[in-house]
Amino acid sequence: MPLPETFQIQKARLRPLLVKELWEILGGRALWTMLVLMCPLVGYSFFQAVSLYGEASAAGLQSPVLASSLSPLDGILVPTLGASYVAVTLLFPFVAIRVLGQEKESGALRLLVQMPYRSSTLIAAKLAAVLVAWVFSSIPAFSALVIWRLFGGHLFAPETLNLLFGHLLYGLLVGAIALFAASVSESAATAAIVTLAFTIGSWVLDFTVAGHPGLLELVANLSLTQVLHTFEQGQLSLGLVAGIGTAACGFAALATVWLPPGVHVRNKLVGSIACVLAAAIVLGLATQIRFSIDVTEDQRNSFPVVDQRVLASLAGPLVVTVHLAPEDPRYADLQRNVLAKLERVLPNISVGLAGGRQSVATNAGDDRYGEVEYNYDGRSDISRSTSPREILPLLYGLADVSRPAPAPGGDYPGYPLVIRGEVALLWFFGGLPLCIALGWWWSRRLPIDYRKLQKEA
Amino acid sequence: MDRAFQLVPPGPPIQRNAQLPAESGRASGQADDQVLLRVDSINKRYADEVVLADVAFDIQAGEIIGIIGPNGAGKTTLLEVLAGTVPAESSDVQWLGRPLPSSRRREAIFYLPDGVRPYQDQLVTRVLSFFADVYRRPADEVTSTIEAVRLTPVLSKRVNSLSKGYGRRLMLALGLLAPHPLLLMDEPFDGFDLRQTSEIVGVLRKEVSKGRTLALAIHQLLDAERVCDRFILLADGHVRGVGTLNDLREGTGLTSGSLEDIFLALT
Repeated sequence: MPLPETFQIQKARLRPLLVKELWEILGGRALWTMLVLMCPLVGYSFFQAVSLYGEASAAGLQSPVLASSLSPLDGILVPTLGASYVAVTLLFPFVAIRVLGQEKESGALRLLVQMPYRSSTLIAAKLAAVLVAWVFSSIPAFSALVIWRLFGGHLFAPETLNLLFGHLLYGLLVGAIALFAASVSESAATAAIVTLAFTIGSWVLDFTVAGHPGLLELVANLSLTQVLHTFEQGQLSLGLVAGIGTAACGFAALATVWLPPGVHVRNKLVGSIACVLAAAIVLGLATQIRFSIDVTEDQRNSFPVVDQRVLASLAGPLVVTVHLAPEDPRYADLQRNVLAKLERVLPNISVGLAGGRQSVATNAGDDRYGEVEYNYDGRSDISRSTSPREILPLLYGLADVSRPAPAPGGDYPGYPLVIRGEVALLWFFGGLPLCIALGWWWSRRLPIDYRKLQKEA
Repeated sequence: MDRAFQLVPPGPPIQRNAQLPAESGRASGQADDQVLLRVDSINKRYADEVVLADVAFDIQAGEIIGIIGPNGAGKTTLLEVLAGTVPAESSDVQWLGRPLPSSRRREAIFYLPDGVRPYQDQLVTRVLSFFADVYRRPADEVTSTIEAVRLTPVLSKRVNSLSKGYGRRLMLALGLLAPHPLLLMDEPFDGFDLRQTSEIVGVLRKEVSKGRTLALAIHQLLDAERVCDRFILLADGHVRGVGTLNDLREGTGLTSGSLEDIFLALT
């Protein structure tokens, strides 16, 4: 039933809310402190990466084969942004929590929830502010990339943007978790503990259960650190992007459910269960999406183009049974060199570990251990190789197609660059912190319109 | 005027000091068309402790109603439940005769809590601008509000550097910028000296003359007597009496008693 006209609310404007969130995040010390702390962290990682890359390049200049292994993605981008990842994991939650926690502690939230905005709008505005904070927190890493280019280094735009996109998604996910934690916690300290339990707990998951089959593998895949691996390998996976987006939206939805203070806890619990179920369903669907793009310049995640074309035309089902324990290095090689590439290109493939392959120790004396069985359309063959040079001919034989002639050229040349990175340290330990201090001062100045008023007065 | 809310349309002059309230807390002969907010029943408990028990009263359009009671009487909780910022076991409230669920209270009611110092790292002017922008208040209204609560000297200061008095003035300004027909304020005079209290009383009176209704939870009975048209006496979560000072005098038989005497007699 409509309420009396006397207090019908008009649609509230979003701009003041966004401006307020922006000033809140820029006006506090947390963001600027994090930025200053990140300068030496990212700077030293960049310096080390450049130094190591320079040393390797000296040898690479003597041999084209060695040079072809010098990729800025692995040598510069991943280690430099890796430092940024550590900071986002450990420090960024404090900045993101502040967006909501400060209002909760000061009582401002009690005013905010009375304003004509939906809870979802409030959380969305806060998430937007968190994203702005992430952009700020990436300034040291961005500046490292600029310095690399000034040094004469090479960057391949698709793989660089893909990696940055991965870090953006990771930042969004951490921010959403932080908002959820701030929403359910009474104090910012509790929220920080909850968020760090997620982020640092992910590391523990990676260390303890990664590489184990079954349920443990599933649990390990939930680790936040897994989010970046695919991007670091130069793949843009639609399923992964959908999964991270769903997880971030799920946490934001939970934060929305827990934000309004005037709702009974039991109603909040019901809303939370609905959110979790919806997110779980969408996540389940996202895991079924296998579409991914190899954005690397050296196409390391793909077979040669001619092989890709032939393999893509194989319509029959390929069943691969691996007689290896998951922690066996050969399994990792096979996965990286062959299986992952096959899964990307073949329309109908299923890969499974042979039953009972739980660990290397339990397979001692097993004659079949180490075999990989390929079954295509009723015909099968076995190989112990982990190299595509042997596996692809085997598959062509099973599919009864002729092996394509290798295309000339197109080999990745590599980008050796002999350089020392000491100059960069001046920027990261002097120039950039100074710029950040100036930025902090600028954020605390009086608004321009107010200064004008003062002048006129 | 571009406003996020429309105030109650001007009607016939509101007859204050209605009849002596019934035991339930509602004036027996009160004309329904004057009633802005009718509280049929509010019950609230924290764990096993009953904080509000079957609280019922009316708030008439254009009045200043004072909620008075000793510490722990449930004044703040009552305001929070009314505003919909705290859930209650039951909270049956009608707005101009129509049910007003908790989720929609913020469309009609704005609540200024006690002890809140919002956005401490921000400049006062920025906080005021935020509220003015959200509620689309024109610049002249913002200026007159700032002047009315005498905030001009601290506009360029940060909220965390304000004195207690200026902090209260800022909160009051935010409440005045919110265009809701009914404004609930918890301890609005806390932190003000006698002269400042007089000033603020004037500001509130002026606001009511514009057609707004105020409900104030007040600890100091002298302040309450000075500013309020009617009173709700609350003790142990129960309404002990509702009405004007004269109504309460008649009800208690203290014909020349002050609010303090009545308060002591009823609580």
